[in-house]
Amino acid sequence: MPDNQVLLALLPEHLLLLGMLTLIVLSLGRRGVVTAVALGVGVVAVVGAVVAAFVLAAQGLNASLFDGQLLVTPGVYVTKALLLALSIPVLLMSRTDFEGAEFPLLLLASLYGLSLLPSAQSALVLFLGLEMLSVPVYALIVLAMRRAESAEAALKYLVLSGTASAVFLMGIALLYGTTGSMQVSAVAEAMNMADPVATTALVLVVAALFLKGAVVPFHGWAPDTYEGASVPVTAYMATLSKAAVLVVGLQLFQGVRVEGPLVQLLAVLPLVSIVWGNVAAMRQDSLRRMIAYSSIAHAGYLFYAFLGDPATRGDAVVFYLVTYAAGNLLAFAVLPPHDNDVTRDHMGSLDGLFRHRPMAAALMAVAMFSLAGLPPFPGFTAKFLIFRTVVAAGYPVYAVLGLVGSFLGLFFYLRVVQRLFMRPVAEGALPAAGQAMLPGDGLSRTAGVLCGVATLLLTLVPGWILSRV
Amino acid sequence: MSDALLLNLVLWLPVAGLLPLALVRGNATTSRLVTTGVMLVQFVMALLLYLQFDGSDLALQAATNIPWIAEWGVAYHIGLDGLNILLVLLTAFLVPLVVIGAWRSIEKDVALFHAMLLLLQFAMMGALVAQDLFLFYVFWEAMLIPMFFMIGIWGGARRSYATIKFVLYTAFGSILMLGAIIYLVWALQQQGGVASFAFADLLRVSLPVEVQVWLLAAFVLSFAIKVPMVPLHTWLPDAHVEAPTPGSVILAGVLLKMGTYGFIKLGFPLFPDATRLLTPWLMTLSVVSIVYGACLALVQQDIKKIIAYSSISHLGYVMLGLLSLDLAGIQGAIVQMVSHGIVAAGLFLLVGVVYERCHTRELSAYGGLARQMPMYALFFVLFMLASVGLPTTSGFTGEFLVLLGAFNAAWPQHLDGNNLPLWLAIAAVSGVVLGALYMLRFALTFLFGAPKAPHQPLADVTPREMSVLGALVVAVFLLGLFPDGALRKTELAARRYQEQVMTSRVPANAR
Repeated sequence: MPDNQVLLALLPEHLLLLGMLTLIVLSLGRRGVVTAVALGVGVVAVVGAVVAAFVLAAQGLNASLFDGQLLVTPGVYVTKALLLALSIPVLLMSRTDFEGAEFPLLLLASLYGLSLLPSAQSALVLFLGLEMLSVPVYALIVLAMRRAESAEAALKYLVLSGTASAVFLMGIALLYGTTGSMQVSAVAEAMNMADPVATTALVLVVAALFLKGAVVPFHGWAPDTYEGASVPVTAYMATLSKAAVLVVGLQLFQGVRVEGPLVQLLAVLPLVSIVWGNVAAMRQDSLRRMIAYSSIAHAGYLFYAFLGDPATRGDAVVFYLVTYAAGNLLAFAVLPPHDNDVTRDHMGSLDGLFRHRPMAAALMAVAMFSLAGLPPFPGFTAKFLIFRTVVAAGYPVYAVLGLVGSFLGLFFYLRVVQRLFMRPVAEGALPAAGQAMLPGDGLSRTAGVLCGVATLLLTLVPGWILSRV
Repeated sequence: MSDALLLNLVLWLPVAGLLPLALVRGNATTSRLVTTGVMLVQFVMALLLYLQFDGSDLALQAATNIPWIAEWGVAYHIGLDGLNILLVLLTAFLVPLVVIGAWRSIEKDVALFHAMLLLLQFAMMGALVAQDLFLFYVFWEAMLIPMFFMIGIWGGARRSYATIKFVLYTAFGSILMLGAIIYLVWALQQQGGVASFAFADLLRVSLPVEVQVWLLAAFVLSFAIKVPMVPLHTWLPDAHVEAPTPGSVILAGVLLKMGTYGFIKLGFPLFPDATRLLTPWLMTLSVVSIVYGACLALVQQDIKKIIAYSSISHLGYVMLGLLSLDLAGIQGAIVQMVSHGIVAAGLFLLVGVVYERCHTRELSAYGGLARQMPMYALFFVLFMLASVGLPTTSGFTGEFLVLLGAFNAAWPQHLDGNNLPLWLAIAAVSGVVLGALYMLRFALTFLFGAPKAPHQPLADVTPREMSVLGALVVAVFLLGLFPDGALRKTELAARRYQEQVMTSRVPANAR
């Protein structure tokens, strides 16, 4: 393949890189100027990458790059574009907590890793992409330092994510040892071997994904880390970091029907995750902890899809990721701002939100209903797709158990809606008339509206995504 | 205007009504006026559809069918048939009356309340006219959300508990139904090779009896919670008592009928073999609902609870009629659905009238209201008699036909040596007696006896309230004296239901 075509095929990544370089140069300038411009540069770079990916998808570009390390198809570009587009609300809502060029710079660096994943065809590139995604996040967690727990959160994430990476590498190494290949097709080969080493390799890979994706019993880090990080970083971890793990899973298991002992692993742990995530979320007083447990449950649904037929699994997972991320980002974007991060995180700060910010309350309610999977919101369609895949693969009992587990989640989402609409206004939440808005409030609101529109589109025309991924 | 367009307008008008509601920016009176206007226009359109509906044509009428999520065979498919036409009319008729009748009962967040009312109307209408299982499920579940807000924001003292209980109860049934739907559609795809959610396609799936029983159980759970059938009824008294008057009226008038409609439209016809297998059990539960509901109504001290439990009893008749598989019984069940919708709405509005004036629901707090509120007493007696099933009222037509059907079906089985249906039919008759007993006890303490009320002096019904109650009374007598029109529009559909449930759909190799 000629070099100029390589340049073209990876245009979204190049645009992200360009954005990063611009931000590095820019950060030498005066602090005030940097703060004013940096976010714009970041958004432009991401939007450029999204547009580039859509254009490349529309042109029907099909290419295998670097001796089959990367494979790009229109479907891959659409997945890339959707994932990158979801980072725009994260950037917009970051102004409340971050100044300067660091946040957009680190986020773009992380997105570069994310962007490689859907096209990766070798275990090594997948590993690299996942690491490039995670390393900037360690820094992002401590960057804001709005409370002492941030350092603890970052350390916890660093250690556990590092462990996951080590386990993943071990799995790949064993996979290479048994099949002699680093390509993702090695997974299919290992699945068909009766060799215990091959099975161990697969179990290690899956365990690493569960650890990174916070599936019970590997979930312990998530609530602490989410609580200690700031709102935009938590939003990023809960949505796009999780999406990255699932994309890695999809790439590794592409064309592979899960069989043998792995079925139990991929059915039981996600099921326990669904139930435990939903039950534990009921008792949380911290909003971010609640979202953490809810994301543990959602990781369960997502990994459930791996039981299904490989041909339909991709659609279901990508659609679920997009709706889940849109719902979560919507909830984070419309959170009422507060100068104290701990108070802001407290569930009580949502009491009576409808009284002083009716639009934010309505959007938050939409987010909760969507995450709970109540029709007509897109979370329902997404859940429907997942369970349909599971039933079609011949596991109706697992599907019913998963559905009952998802019912448990309804309770705490409804409790949030009750707080928003059916309680008196929280003390100190109502900003006195004329009091200046916190910086970035308007941008957060824009992010909320964007996610709201996305949710509406996912409700009305879900077929659009399904036919393109 | 073509029928199909008219039906689409009926469905989407409430959503369109949200826009003017948003524009008036929370003004209470304007919100009420806008909502009333929208609902009245919707009612006129629904009436036109009813008049144009051809009862001699079994095909779906006023149908629209366009693909929605083509990848899975989901379509926006709506239409009218003999089973839903009466309920569409009932829904369009009741809800504007609710808005007018409860004009003053909502004073907080009036615009939001009416927005919820419009959304609820949209979801209910959608669930009734949907001819695609996915679409039906979306509307079916979407009904929960506005009701959740309605009870939770404008409800009584224990609203928080009641609304969560309502949603969790109903959602639990639905989530298992969702599992059954997924399985059913997958089975259709295995057999026919087509991905489709259309009712018409799904009615052709043949399944072994054991599978049918499981799937039916999931559907029954969902629908029976909604009806509600004993022992799944415990959410109803809480929801009714805590809901504001308009919420109670819609709950009793329309929402409960969704359960019985689900049975006749989907549950039983989809799984005929399992239905016939489980008929003795389901019939027993229906009769238990009739008798147990009536007994509970007999001992209540809260006036809203009396009517709530009487609903359980009256809907037991609907279930009995549907399960009798006798034409008279099925048609009686359909009439009883409409009749109960009108009568329960009237009774809840009447309770709302005194509650608005006195703010208590304790039966013992009232007495001798007939002397202070003569017009009120007149309406109360009329609705009471309709509820009891006095001839010439709609309640009589419904209950009489259901009992006739139950005996028609039971007699041949009795001759074959199976006595259960006959005993059940006889027990069901006792429900009529109990019904008279609790309603008369209610009326006696409430209207007659020593005059007392927590708030003096009591104003009689206003012209606004009178017009609403008057409209309901007219409907009660129209359906009671001239049931022919309604029966003729539903007869063919009832016959088809009968035939569908009687025909076995077990695959040839599993028989």
